[in-house]
Amino acid sequence: MNEIKQRLQDIVDRDANHECSGIGKHALCVRAVAVADLPTRFGDFRIVAFWNNRDAKEHVAIIRGDVIGRAEVPMRVHSECLTGDALGSIRCDCRDQLEAALKRIGELGEGMVLYLRQEGRGIGLLNKIRAYSLQDSGLDTVEANLALGFRDDERDYAIAAHMLRSLDIRSVRVMTNNPNKLEQLKGYGITVAGRIPHVLPPNEHNRFYLETKAKRSGHMITFGAEPRLSEQSDTSIPPGTDG
Amino acid sequence: MFPDVLIVGAGVAGLSCAKVLARSGKTVRVIERSRGVGGRCATRRIDGQPVDHGLVFLHGKSPDFLAALREVPGRWREDWPIVVRGTGTPCQPSAFVPGACRMAYASGVTAFPKHLALGLDVVLETTVTGLELGDHDVKLQASQHDQTLSFTGPDVVLALAGPQTLALLDGLPPSSARDTGRAVLAMMPSVPCATVIALYPKSAPPLSWDIWYPETSTALTLVAHDSAKRDDPARMALVLQARPAWSSAVVGADPAEWAPRLLADAAGLIGPWVTQPATWQAQMWRYARSSPECELAGPLVLDLGQGRRVGIAGELFAPGGGVQAAWQSGVDLARRLLDKEQR
Repeated sequence: MNEIKQRLQDIVDRDANHECSGIGKHALCVRAVAVADLPTRFGDFRIVAFWNNRDAKEHVAIIRGDVIGRAEVPMRVHSECLTGDALGSIRCDCRDQLEAALKRIGELGEGMVLYLRQEGRGIGLLNKIRAYSLQDSGLDTVEANLALGFRDDERDYAIAAHMLRSLDIRSVRVMTNNPNKLEQLKGYGITVAGRIPHVLPPNEHNRFYLETKAKRSGHMITFGAEPRLSEQSDTSIPPGTDG
Repeated sequence: MFPDVLIVGAGVAGLSCAKVLARSGKTVRVIERSRGVGGRCATRRIDGQPVDHGLVFLHGKSPDFLAALREVPGRWREDWPIVVRGTGTPCQPSAFVPGACRMAYASGVTAFPKHLALGLDVVLETTVTGLELGDHDVKLQASQHDQTLSFTGPDVVLALAGPQTLALLDGLPPSSARDTGRAVLAMMPSVPCATVIALYPKSAPPLSWDIWYPETSTALTLVAHDSAKRDDPARMALVLQARPAWSSAVVGADPAEWAPRLLADAAGLIGPWVTQPATWQAQMWRYARSSPECELAGPLVLDLGQGRRVGIAGELFAPGGGVQAAWQSGVDLARRLLDKEQR
């Protein structure tokens, strides 16, 4: 076994009996459970699967290069979006954001994406389709989106923080346009060495999405203030408007 | 003087909302259709013996909610139901996961809403029949013993079953906020629950379980051994609750027709003597609970302009379902109403 993979395997072995008082008000605790190679169209990665004590959702870290014990590791937190990530929906730009992050990390040669398997809260996917249904009927859905559960969830960052701790990451450079994310990670004890602006190259699909966004709000979207629902609380910024 | 907030429904959601608002210095009036508080958190007294015929025990995980349950004076049975029979799915599977606390009060589950209602202005036996918009306030049309009444306030909270809230929203003039509220509620159906309370002499065969979730019955979702919760009960009491599909089929029918069928089904599980209670009563909970696939993250606040707001709370409006969700939604709604005011 390759040396880097062996060290990931050592983490999995170490975590077999891992228990701790948890992170955040939900006392969230995760264990690295399995590691495997994951060759992708963006380069060769390894995938580490995590169990957690809060719900039955399995989160994963997609890792490129040697990151264990390292500082200033490029990192992106991505929340699952079935319709965007897997089905190619252009109601959101989640897939573009995910692909841009994987591509960037592929080019950098090292880094990681924490892929969190949670669509909103609880019965998130059902409520997301309900939210789309409300949008289809032309309603102003700000209040409905709140009730349906689409807002920043502190659990995202608690999970991410524990995953980083499990992987012995010393510090991270976060691929985000949202300074709030950095603060939340710091709040959970993660050393944030910096930010990598997450700017999407325009393409046929996100141009449609970004134009729609621009038409409706005239500027960078604010979560919850949009008739369209963005699943990634960290919004992308059209090139040229990144302040 | 008009109260600051009018709350329709003295169930757990309405009362927890009222309590938080009152503690923050708001004047609050709660309007309730029935003769007592609690809604589906219900206890009926039969010859003096309390019987819980709505939800049959309380459960939760949230430390704040558990603390609220334990503020209630009087005896309670921790961990009730202790002995569970059958492998059928409980109405609230989350009650039986590690970390969840279950309990029942010796005096009946209404001890909790009654305690919440202490010190609150609750107008009983008053049915709200409609909502109207005034220039700067919301008016409630109501009837009380055949008299027509109206109540006025800038903020109204609807803490009812979803379909009842929907019916009241229908009376408001169309607006973006109202239409959003209606659209959300219309996607969230509620399920009925046909319930039978059956009482037997003390000489009935003893039962070794507290609750039975039958896996095979197409009629029964549970049988609760209610008298096991009581101190020195005069009679054995069973509460039989039917599955949603079975209940839907008999909504509107005469209980004299369906109650014996439920008793016969329970007899098949427990023993033939169950078909012959000393006395029985039936209750159709038309809106017993929200469907399990329906769950919202928080309450709704509909801003109708001119300082007029309608807040909506209830079991549906917090994760997890059950009394904990109802309680939490009321607390969350109160905080949102207070928060928006400060801004």
